[in-house]
Amino acid sequence: MIILDDVYYKYEPEGIEALRGVSLQIRAGEHLAVIGPNGCGKTTLIRHLNVLLLPLSGTVTVGGLPAHNPKHQAVIRSQVGMVFQNPDHQIVGMTVEEDIAFGPENLCLPTSEIKARVAEALSRVGISGLARRNTENLSGGEKRLVAIAGVLAMRPRFIALDEPTAFLDPAAAQRVVDIIEKLHSEGVGIIHITHNMAEAALAQRVVVMREGRIVLDGRPTEVFARADLLKHMGLQLPQITELLLEMKEAGFPVRTDIVGMRAALEQITALIGRKQD
Amino acid sequence: MYHTGSFIRGESLIYDLDPRVKLVAAFVFSIFILWIKPAVALVSGIALLLAALAGGLSLRVIGQSIKPFWFFIALIFIVHVFFSENQGQGAAATTFLSLSFSRTGFQEGFWVIWRFFCLVVAAVLLTMTTAPSQLIAAIKYFLKPLRKLRAPVDDLAVMIMLALRLMPILLTEKERIETAQRARGYDLPHSGLVTKIKVFLRSTLKILLGVFRRADEIALAMESRNYRRGERSSLVELKLTSSDYPVIFFLLFFFFIFVAINSHFG
Repeated sequence: MIILDDVYYKYEPEGIEALRGVSLQIRAGEHLAVIGPNGCGKTTLIRHLNVLLLPLSGTVTVGGLPAHNPKHQAVIRSQVGMVFQNPDHQIVGMTVEEDIAFGPENLCLPTSEIKARVAEALSRVGISGLARRNTENLSGGEKRLVAIAGVLAMRPRFIALDEPTAFLDPAAAQRVVDIIEKLHSEGVGIIHITHNMAEAALAQRVVVMREGRIVLDGRPTEVFARADLLKHMGLQLPQITELLLEMKEAGFPVRTDIVGMRAALEQITALIGRKQD
Repeated sequence: MYHTGSFIRGESLIYDLDPRVKLVAAFVFSIFILWIKPAVALVSGIALLLAALAGGLSLRVIGQSIKPFWFFIALIFIVHVFFSENQGQGAAATTFLSLSFSRTGFQEGFWVIWRFFCLVVAAVLLTMTTAPSQLIAAIKYFLKPLRKLRAPVDDLAVMIMLALRLMPILLTEKERIETAQRARGYDLPHSGLVTKIKVFLRSTLKILLGVFRRADEIALAMESRNYRRGERSSLVELKLTSSDYPVIFFLLFFFFIFVAINSHFG
């Protein structure tokens, strides 16, 4: 479990208060989406989970290990992998397999173990065929998958992803989302920063941040039911929820605490009184 | 398009050789070619060229790899032709535009650029047939004894890897900035020297700022993947195989033969 207790962080010398008393618990295997407007502290938050940043006050504990203790930092970084927003800033290897091996090499694992982990990570994200490819010649979607595989090779219990589908075409974005879902089904805890509300709706839990604070925390249906607050913050709702809200406003008796396509379809077909075979 | 020094995937005996053997061979050859007599240098160079062709290097690639050095080669040749210390020791010097040149100068110039050409071919043969990771592993292997003196051998290997990784990114960044400048109406080829210098300085500053920003991000990403200064293990496993031993024997044999011939000529 990851526990953040009253975490405060300020960027110097700009003096920007990025986190202002954030408390959060993330259970092992949980799928958590973090949403919020730009500059609300999402990236700063997940950088604390990987000990890239240490709180100026408050505590971060991962698997019972306090992040402040330098002795635990290597273990925490192995337990919480971090996928950066721009894969070009994360990929350091000349070839895909070299890049994926970077983490295990840092753990000083024997060559046979590194090879096994590279093969396993490649297979988990479905890019075994790219092993020998030059990282410079990959597409944006492939680079994201390489970045995820590079983190998986460390065999983390959690993965924090910073807008993993940003700037991708719909097919590539869907492929990344599918991989995230698959990893979650395999028991890896997911902390997923996103501006895409349909992606956030897939999570078990959604945390909404604003000006360095958590303002909403709950199941997607609970969070997206607060449409007025979200819109006031400049956030969009999942399209399904938007549609149901419009229908309700137009006088149709529909529930609006729905974020999934199937549930929405059932509502609408029940309303018009017929179902397609 | 082949860039001098890039690795090209391929298959041949040279590709399969242990990178340590290739690195030592290239290093020894580079010293050897500068030290030996001209006639032996000619034979050694031809032997290297044949080995390069057999190893998968085409004449086109050799030509392309030499291309960036043409100006340098021409300059070395001209300097030797016109300013050789042994001017006048051989055939009578001819005067042209108050500069004298002789056959000796030509000969000296030729041998210098031949040796330079051999050095480039040896380097290209090494880098083209050896994956960067293999090359880094070989360098790391030879520097390993320096660990006892607390030399940052592993950090040096990571630095080389990052430099190789960042080089194409920098070139892309440069092209991107140039394209953006053209899109906003800069007509560099037809602008004056002052404008060219201004644009160059502005582009360089932008590229440098981008490099520092990127270096910061990459350092952070490396840290997040548990990178710390000090010892690291490697994906690349260096192991001499049965195909390496005959090549080592062959290289040693020819090395001693050439040394003997060279001594004989001396």
